[in-house]
Amino acid sequence: METTTLSQPTFATQLRALFVIAKKDWKVFWRYPLNAISHVFQPIIWVTPVYFMGKAFSTNGQALGFAQYSGTGDYMSYVLLGTALSNFILTVFWGMGFALKEDMDAGVLESNWLTPVSRLHILVGRTLTSLLTTTITSIIMLIIAAALFGFRPTGNVIAAILTAIPMLVGLYGFGFAFAAIVLMMREANTMVDVSSFLVQGFSGANFPVKSLPYWLIPVSLMLPLTYGFDAVRGWLLQTSTLLPINVEVAILIIFMFVMLWFGAWIFNRVERKVRRLGTLGQH
Amino acid sequence: MEVTLSSRSLGKPGFLSDLRAFWAIVWREWTIFKRYPSWIIALLIWPLIFPMMYILTARALSGMDGSGLAVFTQTTGASNFIGYIVVGTTVWMWQNIVLWDVGFALRNEQMRGTLESNWLSPTWRFSYLLGHTGPQLITMTMFILITAIEFGLFFGVRLNGNPWLALLVMLTSIPAIYGLGFAFASIVITAKEAHTFVFLVRGLVMIFCGITFPVSLLPGWMQSVATWMPQTYMIHGMRAAAFANASLTELWPDLQALLLFGAFWLTLGYLLFQWMERRARRTGAIGQY
Repeated sequence: METTTLSQPTFATQLRALFVIAKKDWKVFWRYPLNAISHVFQPIIWVTPVYFMGKAFSTNGQALGFAQYSGTGDYMSYVLLGTALSNFILTVFWGMGFALKEDMDAGVLESNWLTPVSRLHILVGRTLTSLLTTTITSIIMLIIAAALFGFRPTGNVIAAILTAIPMLVGLYGFGFAFAAIVLMMREANTMVDVSSFLVQGFSGANFPVKSLPYWLIPVSLMLPLTYGFDAVRGWLLQTSTLLPINVEVAILIIFMFVMLWFGAWIFNRVERKVRRLGTLGQH
Repeated sequence: MEVTLSSRSLGKPGFLSDLRAFWAIVWREWTIFKRYPSWIIALLIWPLIFPMMYILTARALSGMDGSGLAVFTQTTGASNFIGYIVVGTTVWMWQNIVLWDVGFALRNEQMRGTLESNWLSPTWRFSYLLGHTGPQLITMTMFILITAIEFGLFFGVRLNGNPWLALLVMLTSIPAIYGLGFAFASIVITAKEAHTFVFLVRGLVMIFCGITFPVSLLPGWMQSVATWMPQTYMIHGMRAAAFANASLTELWPDLQALLLFGAFWLTLGYLLFQWMERRARRTGAIGQY
């Protein structure tokens, strides 16, 4: 008996599948408009204590101590840029794993898995809408935060965006690997919360990593995200960078290729294993 | 032959039976809590890493030569910025955890499908909420102790005041913090999906109560809002008792405000619970989710 599939997967059908997944997520997102408002205001709420704390360390609105580490006394632009980038990191890094968990809980993961669509495409598709909504909500967040706290990017916006792209693409590799962990462990909330908090913290989302205690600096330098944050800030805010910007961009490009390969390899191995064990439908 | 049906309950409620029911709820919650040992990891890690992010930002703001720190000391009167931040963030985490644990206690039971059947038992229904508070208080005490030990060990934070007075401020804060949790539980059971409310309340604490900065740095209108929030007095009182060696007389304004807020929130929490209970019986909303 032949077991060939009746479907005829082509590049066009895969693209259509990506579009359908993104459209479904778009509908779900706007079904809960309070979530959109929350996405805009949550980051503002989290940086407000930093704004007032910074005032307690500042003289005439300039954080001179901060400038010794970062090369700029405008700590709020520094923090806001880190917050906006963190939004994207959360979307790509953790978004795919969470999407899998949602599908598990809703009981649709197995049926989605039976469709003739590449599983990595399913994962990527789940991030498309969130990337778009994160872009919209982050822009609104920056506009509101600029009015409240001041946000003064004076550098090269195009170069900053081009630098952020390999970082985000490389994060897809991380995302695949994390999705594999969710497939295996099924419940990974504490691990996600703690590790996302630590990764963002130690890669310098809110402060220059040079200010870390000396024993923590190696941890920070091992995270490729550190160079992403640093280079984007270097372009936009003309801060002093850890390494020359070109070197940091090169690190990000290498990181992108290595992580994409590694993440996809891990995910495919784990996915085969859970299919063999038949644990895909368990949660 | 006519048969008269009595609608009287077979239960014989009394103080002792209510106490037994309360204890049964406390024991059940403790058993469920122990069943998922991953809380141990959370209990050890969160007290350290949440304040640490603000502390590391403050370290960067201090500068290599400590010039920023000198400005901070001048502004706040506190030389130890780590202790200063830890007190504020711990109060925030305490309120946040109570909102999730106590505030969602009834909702979680509703989602498990056990709320309606429990509601039918001849028990004082407020004990369902009070019962959740018992294990919560134990874990929060552990949480605060672990915070003190970790920051003492890893960051060298030492109390420069009277620990008994700091404890007194914490004890005086309990009615306000848990009263808010009770009020919240009734709102959650009525509004169902209420995560946004938690984000709102904890966001207000984060913005207005000075968790990492003195409230005096806020604009005038924000300072006025802060005076209406008990967490402002908790943070101020605990910092003064733990690090500024404040006397009982100096702490009295904070303690007085906390007692007043405690009475207000406990009363409001109880009244809202009664309103929710009546409404739920009238509309049958207890079983809906």
